[in-house]
Amino acid sequence: MTRIVLAALLVGPLGSIRGRVEVRRELPPIEPRPAVASLGMEALREVPDRRRSVVYLATAPQGAFEGAERPRAVLNQRNQAFVPYVLAIRAGTAVDFPNRDRTYHNVFSFSKAKRFDLGRYAGGLSKAVSFDEPGVVRVFCEIHSHMSAFILVFAHRYFATTDAEGRYRIDDVPPGTYTVVAWNDGEARETRTVRVPEGGGPVELDFVID
Amino acid sequence: MRGLAPGLLALLAAAPGWAGEPFSFAGGWLRLGGEASGTISGPDRAYFNYTDYERSNLRLFRLNLDAEVKAGPHFAFVGEIRTDNLDSPRPYALYLRLHPWTNRSFDVQAGRIPPVFGSYARRRYAADNPLPGMPLAYQYLTTLRPDALPSSADELFSRQGGGWLVRYPIGDQTAAPGMPLVNAERWDVGVEVRVGSEPLELAAALTQGTLSHPRVKDDNDGKQVSARLGWRPVIGLALGVSGARGEYVAREARDALPPADRRPLRQHAAGFDAEYAAGYWILRAEAVWSGWDVPPLAGTANDRLDALGLMLEARYKVAPGFYLAGRADHLGFSHLETASRSSPWDAPVTRLEIGAGYSVLRNLLLKLAFQHNARESGRIRGRDFLAGQVVLWF
Repeated sequence: MTRIVLAALLVGPLGSIRGRVEVRRELPPIEPRPAVASLGMEALREVPDRRRSVVYLATAPQGAFEGAERPRAVLNQRNQAFVPYVLAIRAGTAVDFPNRDRTYHNVFSFSKAKRFDLGRYAGGLSKAVSFDEPGVVRVFCEIHSHMSAFILVFAHRYFATTDAEGRYRIDDVPPGTYTVVAWNDGEARETRTVRVPEGGGPVELDFVID
Repeated sequence: MRGLAPGLLALLAAAPGWAGEPFSFAGGWLRLGGEASGTISGPDRAYFNYTDYERSNLRLFRLNLDAEVKAGPHFAFVGEIRTDNLDSPRPYALYLRLHPWTNRSFDVQAGRIPPVFGSYARRRYAADNPLPGMPLAYQYLTTLRPDALPSSADELFSRQGGGWLVRYPIGDQTAAPGMPLVNAERWDVGVEVRVGSEPLELAAALTQGTLSHPRVKDDNDGKQVSARLGWRPVIGLALGVSGARGEYVAREARDALPPADRRPLRQHAAGFDAEYAAGYWILRAEAVWSGWDVPPLAGTANDRLDALGLMLEARYKVAPGFYLAGRADHLGFSHLETASRSSPWDAPVTRLEIGAGYSVLRNLLLKLAFQHNARESGRIRGRDFLAGQVVLWF
């Protein structure tokens, strides 16, 4: 908060970038491998929302990388799904991985930005991982092949995850011209340029991902 | 097929953003998955790792293609086609799954179905096996055959350790491979029922063949009954007891016996399996006992041949994507008593396998293992192997 007030004093009124990401491309649910050796029908599971997107500034303004706080975030394992499917965090964030099922899960990632394996742990327990390097981290469960999620780790704080209607809002953006990226399901899908005026205020920017 | 497969696999492994998800169509109603594995080791002139006369488990390229078609919440059609060393594809699994009540743990499966007995045979994918080798009880070829029978104890003694290619005077007199205790390379045809889920689950099957000799078509007018009771007392611990009984000798071999000796010759089996997993550990143990009825053998009063396979397995992850694993395995055989000799009817075998696995990608696994085999009799008593395996699944 102090940082935002200082930034406002230094650069003048701050603006915000807001809008909607409309995902038109077909995103079927991620399915488990065919259960050839199973003795019966697989259990019902939660279907993650693959339309959730992340909107972020490709080049952040000066001072965006400051900040000494060590925030926390949560990525649940629930009904054999990671919830949320997409988690956007700032570098240095510790993410808790609570297991809310009655079965074991084994969260791991082999991504370049973070390689980790939490081992198997039962429902009611939680383990945490700190994400210190920016990048995209793909998270899986070793036991349930259909469980996957994305963690986007940013060096700055100018990003937002879309809500169920696809809406997003990035606040406290200093005046200037920025490249804004809409990311969905593993890839940066669309890039746009936007100008936040000197007087601050909201700027509308919508994306359509086909 | 030979030229297409490596190219297709390289393309799949290199596809950007693809993390091994199965191919899904029509909103998930049709799912296609599969696995390719290539295993290489030195020549196995003692046939320790052979699953039949022509095929060593440690010198094998295997391609599986799996499909599951869900017709609503109550029906699914499941199949797998498999090719070994790029030979003609053959169906490994092909069955109908029926789940009558969505809120009850009750399933019926009919066709070429997964076995209910034990645990290892349902570890279908190579990625589910931490080592390239297989447990002896599910792979090692004993000197017993379903289509040819010994006439004396001395014939069995003379063939100890030669299960990869064996010949007997009763029935089919050509040389052919013997049977393992439980054949994990082929699934049986029949119908099975599963009742319950956690903590107790009961599965029972009625099939054409037997554990050691699964059949698509019945060859002896006999059926096998098998069952497994599974219990999960706490999360991470799974225990199971199994049993099976069925006629294993083909009609032609049985009819070649003297009329007075023509009785149903059955395989009887019992098993115990346990798995404990926590943190970075998975520990498994499995015991399989099998007894095969045999016709009267000259020189001995024994009318049943027994075998017992014991296996202990451990896997420990030392770092993300990197694990160490080991398996200790023994296969013992009952003694045949004759006037001049008391000896196991086949040569007992001990196997120790240690290795490591490294996941390059989530769905691309490399394994390297050292396998030591010791046989108490036979032409070649021991053989060690250094084996490597690559597994790509989707």
